[in-house]
Order: sequence, then C-alpha cells, then structure tokens
Amino acid sequence: MSGQVKTKEKAVMDPKYLLTLTLKLLITCVIVAGLLGWVNSITEGPITDITKANTETAMKAVVADPASTFSDKLNITDDMVAAAAQYKTTVSEIYEVQSGGAPAGYAVKVSASGSQGTIVMMVGVDTEQAVTGVSIVTNSETSGIGSKVMGNEPLANSGVGVLDQFIGMSHADGDLVVGSNVDAITGATVSSKGVTSGVNGALAVVAAIG
Amino acid sequence: MNFSKQMKEGLVTNNPVLVQLLGMCSTMAITTSFFNGLGMGVSVLIILTLSNVAISAIRKIVPNKIRIAMYIVVIAGFVTCVDLLLKAFVPALSNSLGVFIPLIVVNCIILGRAESFASKESVGASAFDGICQGLGYTIVLVIMSVVREFLGAGTFGAGLLGVDGKGIAIITNSNFHIGVLTMPVGGFMVLGTLIAAMQWALNRTKKAAKEEK
Repeated sequence: MSGQVKTKEKAVMDPKYLLTLTLKLLITCVIVAGLLGWVNSITEGPITDITKANTETAMKAVVADPASTFSDKLNITDDMVAAAAQYKTTVSEIYEVQSGGAPAGYAVKVSASGSQGTIVMMVGVDTEQAVTGVSIVTNSETSGIGSKVMGNEPLANSGVGVLDQFIGMSHADGDLVVGSNVDAITGATVSSKGVTSGVNGALAVVAAIG
Repeated sequence: MNFSKQMKEGLVTNNPVLVQLLGMCSTMAITTSFFNGLGMGVSVLIILTLSNVAISAIRKIVPNKIRIAMYIVVIAGFVTCVDLLLKAFVPALSNSLGVFIPLIVVNCIILGRAESFASKESVGASAFDGICQGLGYTIVLVIMSVVREFLGAGTFGAGLLGVDGKGIAIITNSNFHIGVLTMPVGGFMVLGTLIAAMQWALNRTKKAAKEEK
C-alpha cells in the first residue's frame, strides 16, 4: 500500500501518467459499452414484444369489439399534435383499430395533466368519432381521492363508472366539460377534469385525421 | 484461499446485511413478498459475482487514483445487462422490483466487496466471495420477505403464485394481518429482530466453547 502511495504522489502531474489514466478509463468504458450493445441486441426483440403486448391489452380494453386487431404505430402529424395541444394534452401513440377486417376507428394514447402529475390514458374512438372506451395507463393521482377516478369508480348520480360515462360521447357533441356534459367524482374534480381533457384531446386528434 | 472460512463469513459471521449492514435501502424496500426477495437476492448475487471476477481480473492494471470510477463503470455495465435481461425474460419480476434493479449500481454491498476483497484477492477467491456474500444477502432477504409477507398480508408468493398472482392465502381473515410489517418501518423491525437473534446464537456458541475450555 505504501508503495502505491509513493507512485501516486510522484506521478500526479506527469502528463504520461494522466494519459494512461484517461486511456485505461476509456478502454474500460468501450469494453463495457460493447458488452451492453451485445446484450441489448439479444433483449431488444423480447422487450419490444412485451411492450407491444401490454399496449395491446390496454387497447383491447377501450375498443367495442374485444377481437379487434391493431395496426402498427401510425405517424403522428403536426395537425394531430396541434389538435391535442388545444386541450393541453399530448398525443404519444396512435393505432388504427380493425374489427373483422374492416376499419373500426383508432386507439389514441394521450397524456393530460391531473392534480399530481401526468395522467397517461388510452382512448378508443370509433369511425363515427365517438368514444368506445377510456383506460388509464399510468397516473400519480392522490390515493383515495384522484385514484377513485383512475379506478373507474361509479358516479353518485347515475351509478355509471366515471371513465365509462365517456362511452358514446363524440366530437360532434362539442367539447366535453366537467359540470355540463361530464360528471366528476366528488372531491376529485381536478383528476376528473384531467381525464376529460385527455378525452377531448383524443377526439380532436381523431377528427384531425379526418 | 480458504473456502469454508469464506462461506462461513459470507453467510454468518460477516453477513453483508446482518453484520456489515450494507444495502439497507433495497433490503427495506423490496422484502415485501417472497419472489421480490428471491429475485433481488439472485440479481445481486449474479452481479456481485460477475463484478468481483471482472474487478479482480483487472486489479493489477487499475490505477489507484481512478479505481472507484472504473469499478462503477464495470458494475453499472453488469447491472444494466441484468436489468435488460429481466425486462426481456422475466417482465413480472422486473415490474415489481422496478427502480431497485438499476439502483443495484449504488448498492454498497457490490462496491464494498470490490474495495475490500476483489481488488486484493485472486480471481477464483473473488468469484467465490461474490457467491458467498450474494448467498448471505439472498438468504436474509428471503427470510425477511417470507416473514413480512406472511405476517403483514397473510400470503406466500404474491406476484407469481395463486389466483391472479395474489399469492397463496394462508391467513385469510384480514383482521389478523399486521399491516405495518409491509411498510419500511416493519422492515426495520424484522431486520432488528433477525440481527438480535443471530447475535444471540453466535454468542451462545462462543460461550459454550469458552466454558468447555
């Protein structure tokens, strides 16, 4: 140990020593990066499949026909981004839904802001531009309050699930607004509004496709 | 090299969790169900063994000044590999362990063993040290998770076994569940009890040996 300390002190400002340090660290990084690249090449396929399967499960929950099939991710155009932005939402993914070989609408993944952060949700929209279902992908709403909205809790006045109430509403009805045509869970107005703006955004995106 | 001594150190007398008190964060956070504990333990075991071997192999060319940086690069590489492999082939486990797999990079057991053992000893001894210390960590994690899961939620094997992966219900009446044990504070209680029990057992054997003399 004492020998090591001596070499260290002597060599501190020696450019050759500094160069060796840099080179050794660089080589280690290159080798590790190579290893990671190799592992990534093995795992990339399965990981993509799993993500796709998860997305399909989320999409199947929001379409009318559970036997629907889904296209690959569609390209998101500037029009779609602008349409979603009107409602302060962002569209991240959009898929075409096919039921029995015929086009049956779209599944749109949108993010809207809730009371505690971003709510990511999947919204199914049919060819008539009416909502076929809403499901929450990720959220960080307050447990016991906003989480009631995320958990599709029944509304006090109608008994319909707070997410299920959107089914059948369409872009033609105009904007969905909490308090007029959308009901909120008591105490969780902000979370309900978040979901509503997400649905508005998704409908606008589908309308932008035409 | 003394394999049986190393084994005894890793499992009992120098156990990474019970004696060195390393890796507390992951120990508290993930020991809520049997498969979480086992999965985390095995992940650490694999990463620890691989990083011990790699660090021991390069110990003579690593300049003293940048050794920590090099160790971290090597450890982070292995952790990312394990993380990717888990995501690809055991997605359920990857979901339930979440951020704690990437956090193994800064788990002090790995860096601690790199500093105190692998950087000084031969490749073979370091590999064996990784296995022993990893086993010691895994065993403690498994004991803790079984106790916490059983007393806290009344189940065994939540996440993979049972209906909807909710585990095999042993205590079905929720009035008998000790909810606090599923929280980190319960983790400290179980860990404290384990440490006390082990010290008691160790001292008893020591005393017995003394009295015989």
